[in-house]
Order: sequence, then C-alpha cells, then structure tokens
Amino acid sequence: MTTLSTPPHDSAERTARSAPSPRGSRRGARSPVRRRRGDLRFVLACLLPALVLFAVFMVYPTMNVFRMSLYTWSGFSPDMKFVGLDNFRHLMDDDQFVRAFQNTVALLVVVTVVTMGMGLFLAAIMTRQKLRGRNLLRFVLYIPNILSVVVIAAIFSAVYDQKNGLLNGALRLLSLDGWQQVWLGNQKIVLYSVAIAMVWQSLGYYMVLYMSSMAGIPEELYEAASLDGASVTRQFFSITLPLIWQNLRTSLTFFIMSAVNLSFVLVRAMTGGGPDSSSEVLLSYMYKQAYTNSSYGYGMAIGVVIFAFSFLVSLLVSRATRREPLQF
Amino acid sequence: MAGMAEMKDSMRTALLVTVRTLVAAACVALVVIERSTVGWGHLGVMLLALAGLLLLLASYNRRFR
Repeated sequence: MTTLSTPPHDSAERTARSAPSPRGSRRGARSPVRRRRGDLRFVLACLLPALVLFAVFMVYPTMNVFRMSLYTWSGFSPDMKFVGLDNFRHLMDDDQFVRAFQNTVALLVVVTVVTMGMGLFLAAIMTRQKLRGRNLLRFVLYIPNILSVVVIAAIFSAVYDQKNGLLNGALRLLSLDGWQQVWLGNQKIVLYSVAIAMVWQSLGYYMVLYMSSMAGIPEELYEAASLDGASVTRQFFSITLPLIWQNLRTSLTFFIMSAVNLSFVLVRAMTGGGPDSSSEVLLSYMYKQAYTNSSYGYGMAIGVVIFAFSFLVSLLVSRATRREPLQF
Repeated sequence: MAGMAEMKDSMRTALLVTVRTLVAAACVALVVIERSTVGWGHLGVMLLALAGLLLLLASYNRRFR
C-alpha cells in the first residue's frame, strides 16, 4: 500500500534553498528531454533480449512457413522449386485435407463447448455448494492435467480396448453387450473417443481456474441477491458470470489455440490418424505431409491454413467477448 | 400494471434464453452431423455453424459492453 504525505513546510523551504538555481545547474541536473531519451534507451536495452528471442524463434519461423508454402521441396534434397500458389491449389482437390479440416472444426466446437460448460458448472457447484469431499473431488479432477498427454493417450487406449478394455468390460458386466464398440476402430465414433480424452485432460484445469475467480467474489453480493429472492441460477448469470468474465474470456481464447495443438498429440498417440484417416486433424495431416510424405512445401501450405484459421477464430472470439471489466 | 410489465419482461427473458439455447444446440448438432460427410460444402456448413455460435456469444455479450 502506498501512502502519500506532504513534507513539513520548513523542510520544503530547506529543499528550495538548497536546490541549485536553473542557470547554474547545467552540469548537475539534466533536462527533461534528455532524461526521457535516456529512459527510452534503458527501456529499449531491457526489451532487446526478449525482442531478439521473439524475432528468432517466432517471427522468422512463421515467415519461413509462409515462404516455404510457395515451394515444392522434399525436405532433404538441396533442390527447391518455386511453384507459387500451386500447393494451395492442390489443397482444394485434396479430400484428406477437407476431412482433416472437418475433424478439427468438430473437435474445436464439441470439446470447447463441453469443457467450458462442464468446467463452469462444476466450479459453480464446488464454490457455492458445501459439498462433502469437494477437495478430494477437485484433486481427482485436476490430476489429468499434471499427467503427460502421452500417458493420457495410453490410459484411454487401455480404457477403449476392444477385448479387455474398461469400457467394454463395464458394458458386458451390465449386460449391455449390444452397446460394445471398437471405440478406436469405428470410423464414425473414433473422433469422439479422442474428444472424450481431450475433455478429461483439460476439464480439471479450467474448473480450478474458474473456482479461483469465483472465490474472489464477495459473499455479500450473493446474500443481497438471495434476500431479493434471486434463484441460484439467476445468481450465477447475474453475479458470478459477469464477475469472472475477463477470466472466462482469456481462457476461452487460450483454449481454442491449445485445443488445436492438443488434438494433434492425442490423435498421434491414440490413433495415428486412423482408421483410414477418419480421425486425422489438420496438424497431424500437416505433420504427415511434411515429415512422412516428404512434401514439405505442401505441409507448410497446410500450416498456413492452420495459422490463418486459429488466428481468425481467436480474433473473433476475442471480439465477441469484449466488455468493460467490472470492479467490485 | 407494474406486475404485468414485470411478468412480460420475465417472459421475454425466458423466451430469449430458450431461443439462444436452442440455436446453440442446433449449431453444435449441425457440426456433428455435417462432419460425417466429406466435402467442401459440408465443411462450409460446419464453419457457418461455428460462426453462428460466435454470433450467439456476441449477441449475449452485447448488452454488457
């Protein structure tokens, strides 16, 4: 906390007396313009290492992706051929690319809606309701977030196993044999099997994030609302949601970007894009083209599409959720 | 008179919430259904559904700006 106090009069006079006159201070005191210039130089010197790192590791590789998307290159040979927008023209005729794009959009929508919805719901329940064992529940839900994504993929591969898997075993136990599936082998449901793993992995993190925001809301607001006759749902939409909006907004934008990345790792580890490319997502298809199929330029063209799509969706989400922050 | 207006207002709010929920559910369902067929047209419909969800979010947020 900062407190401001005015100095006593005599000390102010003493300071004024001891201060050098403007004419005789050329050597001692610096003019405001020179001081500002010096400050600017210092700020730039402090920023320079971060700016250099950002340029070397972010700007240059991104520009390189854009540049390489205009070439055909195997990735190994020294011959690179400039083909202009040919790689993008090929994308228009590539059904595998369209399928990967569709899968990416489906995962983005389904996983974001379910994770954000469930995260908010669970956080509201755990914060507002006095549940028994809520600390244990919070701990259990948070555990997947500290596990490696590859470990999660291994866990879910075991859960989905056709013969000895937990899911089919439980269904057999409940005499629901007809509901048994080849969860990672059926083209229609394989993507949703991956989506469940994605939700399981990220739910705890977002729940804890929202819980910490909700814990900061003053209790008096809820007391006043309940005295006015507001229901729990009304309190959630009129008090909780507006007061955690900035957090929700940031996490939503962040989640959209991380969902694209997370889907790649889980798909690679759980299905490898199969069966018959039915669970391929944009990043895994780009990886396959650039590093397995030796079509580096084509892979970079897919990378440009991913960049543009992620950037556009994040920008639109940021615009759609912008509002004045509330203070309480 | 004031009670009637209040009731009208709460009815309007309830209707708005119901419509928004239905539109959001329809957009998610559209994404899931269109994903099953491969093609640019189907991808376009999926992107439109995604845009619909974002518009819904923007319309909910508009009164708080």
